[in-house]
Amino acid sequence: MSNSAPPAIGGACGQGLCGGKCKEILREGVWGNNPISIQILGVCSALAVTNKLENSIVMGVALIFVCAMSNLLVSLLRNATPRRIRMIAEVAIIATFVIVFDLFLKAFYFEMSKSLGPYVGLIITNCIVMGRAEAYALRNPPMMAVVDGVANGLGYAAVLVIIGFFRELIGSGKLLDIVVLSDNWYIPNQMMILAPGAFLALGFLIALANYIKPRQEEETK
Amino acid sequence: MKGSIYTIFYSAVLAVVCALLLTSANAFTRPHIEANKAAERMRNILEVLEVPGVEKAGSKELTQIYEEKVSEKQYGTLNVYETADGAVAVPFAGPGLWGQVKGFLALESDKKTILGVTFYEQEETPGLGGEIGAQWFRDQFRGKSLRGKDGKPGILIVRDGNAAPNGVDAISGATMTCDKVQAMLNEVIGTIVKELGHDVQ
Repeated sequence: MSNSAPPAIGGACGQGLCGGKCKEILREGVWGNNPISIQILGVCSALAVTNKLENSIVMGVALIFVCAMSNLLVSLLRNATPRRIRMIAEVAIIATFVIVFDLFLKAFYFEMSKSLGPYVGLIITNCIVMGRAEAYALRNPPMMAVVDGVANGLGYAAVLVIIGFFRELIGSGKLLDIVVLSDNWYIPNQMMILAPGAFLALGFLIALANYIKPRQEEETK
Repeated sequence: MKGSIYTIFYSAVLAVVCALLLTSANAFTRPHIEANKAAERMRNILEVLEVPGVEKAGSKELTQIYEEKVSEKQYGTLNVYETADGAVAVPFAGPGLWGQVKGFLALESDKKTILGVTFYEQEETPGLGGEIGAQWFRDQFRGKSLRGKDGKPGILIVRDGNAAPNGVDAISGATMTCDKVQAMLNEVIGTIVKELGHDVQ
């Protein structure tokens, strides 16, 4: 874990926004190295808030915002931050953005803030945000760090949206609170909106991702 | 030594920057947040008193309806929200199974018959204790008396409780929550009976 950035990436920033690396970073965050399905990080909130699609979307947006902004700041400060206190500095930066997001949610989207409860505040302890700050933003230039933050936020959001979609659909027959499966003939499976449904849905998703991914890699070889 | 001074300096600057960001975000959002909280409270009071037109009202309309229809009154130690026709909403609170439960108990104009109950803050188990917030459970309270057959004040949340004039059916699998809700309702009913000076039957 040396402090010096690999020269190839460090120097690439001058050309274009991030030296044509954007696509690759995005693909890594959303699919190749997806924070939830591959790295199994941020699972707690992925289980807790996904009983409705709307919650999943807002939580995903929150993580994209926090991850991008904290990566940006950590990256800007990367050469000024003393190594000994870098983690405390990261937590302070992350917490600031999380609280800002929480305040705005309470002010302009009160219903959502009520239904997400403490989970927005708990983004502070989300391993994905801290992980990206430590593993990426600390040794890469700001533009690329932002892209990486967005990519990982998107990866998290994608998983949440997929789980939220199936849990709300199966668990209450609705999508975004609009009745899709009429209760004349569909009996909602309440288990899907409770905790077991969350584990089940996430388990299937991770299994699926790990089934598809190795095959894809073999094909490209 | 030089490194330490720099570290302290860096931490101080970072802390000040973060604090400034938070202070400005807080100052910017505070009026909205407070308006939301006030509107939420009014909505709960209006809903439990069954004032029409509340469901789709925005916060401005809510304030208007609230100021028009509800007045805050005090009977002894009891704070109530009263409509023109004499129905009252009484706030109550108490410990649930997982966290604080807060709500309003509404009485009809005779102040002896229950109009409705709402729980605006509760963290009970979703699907079990959380059902106290569900329509079917709350609807049972409508028309119930504050006193039992023997004239003793109090509500019963028990199995097959609906038969009693002051009873409702409990929720299966949520005995703890039901017992706790019963206790907090009985506490507020005790105060109501005392302060509104119901004749002893």
